[in-house]
This record gives sequence, structure tokens and C-alpha cells, in this order.
Amino acid sequence: MSRPVVLEVRGLLKRYGGVTAVDGVDFTLHENEVLGVIGPNGSGKTTLVNLITGFVKPDRGKVLYRGKRISGLPPYRVALKGVARTFQMAKPFYQLPAYKNLVVPLSSPRVHALAGGSYGDRDAVAKDLLEEVGFERDSWVINKAAASLPHGYLKRLELARCMALRADLMLLDELFSGLSLAEVASMVPVIDKLRSRGKTIIMVEHRLRELFRIADRVLVLNFGQKIAEGTPGQVMDLPAVREAYLGSEAEVGDA
Amino acid sequence: MFEATLIYGLVNSVILALVALGFNLTFGISGVANFAYGAFYVTAGFLTWSGLNQLGLPFGVAAALAVLITALMGALMYRYLLLRLRGLVVSEVIATFGVGLALLELFRYLGFIGFEYTLPVMIDASVDIAGVVVDAQRILIVVVGASLAALLWVFTRHTRTGRAFRAIAQDEHTALTLGINTDRVATISVAFGAGYGAIAAVVILPLGTISVGEGYNVLVNALAVCIVGGLGSTVGVIVASLLIGYAQMITATYVDTHWMMIVSLVAILIILLIKPSGLFGQQKELEERI
Repeated sequence: MSRPVVLEVRGLLKRYGGVTAVDGVDFTLHENEVLGVIGPNGSGKTTLVNLITGFVKPDRGKVLYRGKRISGLPPYRVALKGVARTFQMAKPFYQLPAYKNLVVPLSSPRVHALAGGSYGDRDAVAKDLLEEVGFERDSWVINKAAASLPHGYLKRLELARCMALRADLMLLDELFSGLSLAEVASMVPVIDKLRSRGKTIIMVEHRLRELFRIADRVLVLNFGQKIAEGTPGQVMDLPAVREAYLGSEAEVGDA
Repeated sequence: MFEATLIYGLVNSVILALVALGFNLTFGISGVANFAYGAFYVTAGFLTWSGLNQLGLPFGVAAALAVLITALMGALMYRYLLLRLRGLVVSEVIATFGVGLALLELFRYLGFIGFEYTLPVMIDASVDIAGVVVDAQRILIVVVGASLAALLWVFTRHTRTGRAFRAIAQDEHTALTLGINTDRVATISVAFGAGYGAIAAVVILPLGTISVGEGYNVLVNALAVCIVGGLGSTVGVIVASLLIGYAQMITATYVDTHWMMIVSLVAILIILLIKPSGLFGQQKELEERI
């Protein structure tokens, strides 16, 4: 692949007491690639996201973003470089209306600099972004406090927040979990659109069918170790993957 | 008598609100219960006194310096002590209480005891409101209290730092993913809280003397107002200040002034029994717990 390298993860290791949550993981991510990360519960997927975004400090190994080391930086510095993430359990600013949740990232110095030194009409941009992720424009939902939004909207809001920060690399931690089939179907085109705009995306997912349709490459974790990496087709045929999944996850049948 | 209770009750309520605002601001934003708050209040008083009487500074300069130094002390306490303890609530309380205890008892050790430690009133005059004589200092307290509350409201809604305050108050992790340096914001919030306490000290202390014991009283009053109002809620501070402020004044008028502090403690007890999250508190899980 001739596209520039966006993210390099080298020998990343994190121990919690006697448990090695992430055990020497390596991978490289190129610009505009969509990487899926799968694995059974407790295989280290979320810890990997936390390590890359600075929420957890690695015991060993390093993370390079566009050639510069970001492991060891605090999360807010990583975010300002253009690496955004979502949370598995949606974490909005509960008391703010949905669109005001986006005014916070839209007020970031990063957005200010990228927009050529102006914030523009932040409320309007926020509402545009919400519409893009599937909020009905001019409906009550965009003005409703995040605390009272239904789950599906909260997940959309998580994604919209990354978009508002104008992140180049987005780490989406189980964005589809808890969504209905119809909701997932409406989110897939949004991810596709982000890819067409040149974004690089890491998706941690349990919804394998949808993930395999979107992802260029899939990385499989088990007990913190990378046990496979390849195209969705290659990965699904590997016996180790079937074993890891069938060993602990009954849901693979309908995934 | 009734008019006097009405007016002095309002002044007393504003004093409580002024004292509680800083404590509440810090807690609401960073989740830190600053138990050194009363000590910071008294420190600001003694610093102003020293500036006036030992350095011969004009009142305005001495007061401004005292507020700045107190705010800086708050920032340093957060940066070098609390940052290492973040998330360990009991440790935070013990650490800040320890700092407060050390500060207050240091003043006692240095000999800051006696009736000569007073601050001058800013305007020596009084006015007649509905037949009740009210001195200018008390009117100034009401004006400063209202202005600080209004300033805080504008600040948290219309400035970038203020919005960052509200963001980390609601979800610190999400604020981090959006490039907000939450440690810095929390440091500023503790400094602001201490600074608010210092401003309260500079305008309220001229009514009495500066004493070590006042540090403990201020802490109890601030805690009472914040717990009754609901920790972190500005509306709660205002409502609880009025409730406790008038309850104290009525007690002082019809029972005895010595019972005023008891009112604050009883208020804490009652609210913890009936509605532990406070009148306007966000921690509703306290009530949902079985």
C-alpha cells in the first residue's frame, strides 16, 4: 500500500495485576483505511483503544501517530492532534441539549485553526452534523438534553462528537452495540461517507456481519494477543478465529 | 422587629451564599470537596490585615493581593497535592482538611489571636430602610454577593474556560477526548473557589474580627449550604442560603445568637435524613439506593 502510514503500534503491552490485558500488539494503519478489531469479551479491545488515545499508559511498547510518538501523552494532547474516540457506554454532556454537546468540540482551538481562524456559526454546524449522523433536522431531539435521549441517538452523538473535532483518526468503540438492525443499517453509510472524506477509522465491534462489510482489514485479539490480521474474508476462514469466537461467544451464529 | 429580621435575614443569607459559592464552584467542576476552604477564607483575612498594618498598603491593594495569593495557594494545593490523589475521595477530604488544619493552627501558633485583628469597613455610613438602620458594609456585601453570583453565571456560559468548566463537570472523560486539559481546568477551578472565598472574607470580615475559629465556622456554613442545596448546584446555593440564613436570623432574634451555628448543623442532619442529595442535587442515586 502506498498510502502514508497514519498509526504505528509497536509491542504494546499493558498489565493489570496478574492479567496482561494487551500483550505485545503490533499493527500499522494507513491513511483512509478502516480497520476492524474483533475478539471475545475481555480480549483487550477497549484497553487497546485506551492505550492509543492516552487514557491508559502502556507498560511497554509505543504508539506513533504520523511518525510522532503519542504514547505517554495525556488524552487531551492526543485529541488535539486529531485522534478522537467514542465510548462503548455513551458519555455525553448529560445536561446539555444534543446539539450543544457538539458546540464544545466546535469551540476547540483545533477546529478554530483548521477553519482558518474562525469558529463560524457553531450552532448551525452542530445541527448540520447531527443531521448527518441521522438526527431529524428541526425536530425535538436535537434540542433535548442528552440525559433523556434514546440509546440510538446517544450512539450517533458519540460519532458526531468525533466529527465535530475534525478528527483524522477515529476510534469507534462498539459504536453499533445495542442498536437495532435498522439503526445499524442507517449508520453504515455514515461510516462510508467518512471514509470517502479521507478519514482513517478503527472500529471495535461485535457486530461482525456489518463490520466485515465496512472494514478493509480486520485484527483479531484473544487474551490480549493479536492472533490474526487480514481482510475480512481471510480472517473469517481462520480456524483460530472460529475457535476464539465459538469458544466463548454464542452470538457468532447470528452475527 | 419584623422588618429588621427581614432585612438582616437577607444580609445573613447573602453572607452564607457568598461563603458557599467558592466551595460549591470547586466541587461542582472538579468534584473536589475543598475542606481547606475555611482556612483559605481566614488566610485572606490575615493577609489583608498584614498588608494594611504591617506593609502599610492601601486597603484595595492589600485586599487584591490577599485574593490573588489565596487563589494561588488553591492552585498550588491542587497541583502538588490533590493531583496525586484524584479519584480517592476520602483521601482528598483528609488531605484538604489537613492543609486547612495546618494553616489555621499555624496562624494560632504565630500569635494571630486577639481583638486587634479586624479589617476596616470600606464606607463608614448607614442608611435607613423601612425604619431599619443598615450599615453600608452590609449593603456592600449584598451587592458583592449578587455581582459574584452573576459574574459566575456569565463566565460559565459565555467564555471558553467557563464552558470547559461545565464540560468537565458533566463528563471528565469526554472532555479529555475533545482536547480539554481537565487537570488544568480543575486547578483553575480550585483557584477560583479559593479566590471567591477570599473575596467573601475581605467584604464580610469587617463586620467582626478575624479569628482562627472563624475558619471552622465558615467551613461548616459552606458545607451546610452546599449539602442542603445539593452539591454543585448554584440554584441550590441560593435557595439553601435563604433557608438557612433566615432560620439563623430568626433563631438569633428569638432564641440566642449562640444557636446560629446549631441551625447549620441541624439543617445538614435534616436534609441527610429526608433527601440526601440535597434540594437541587444531581446525585439522585442517593435516593434510589435501597
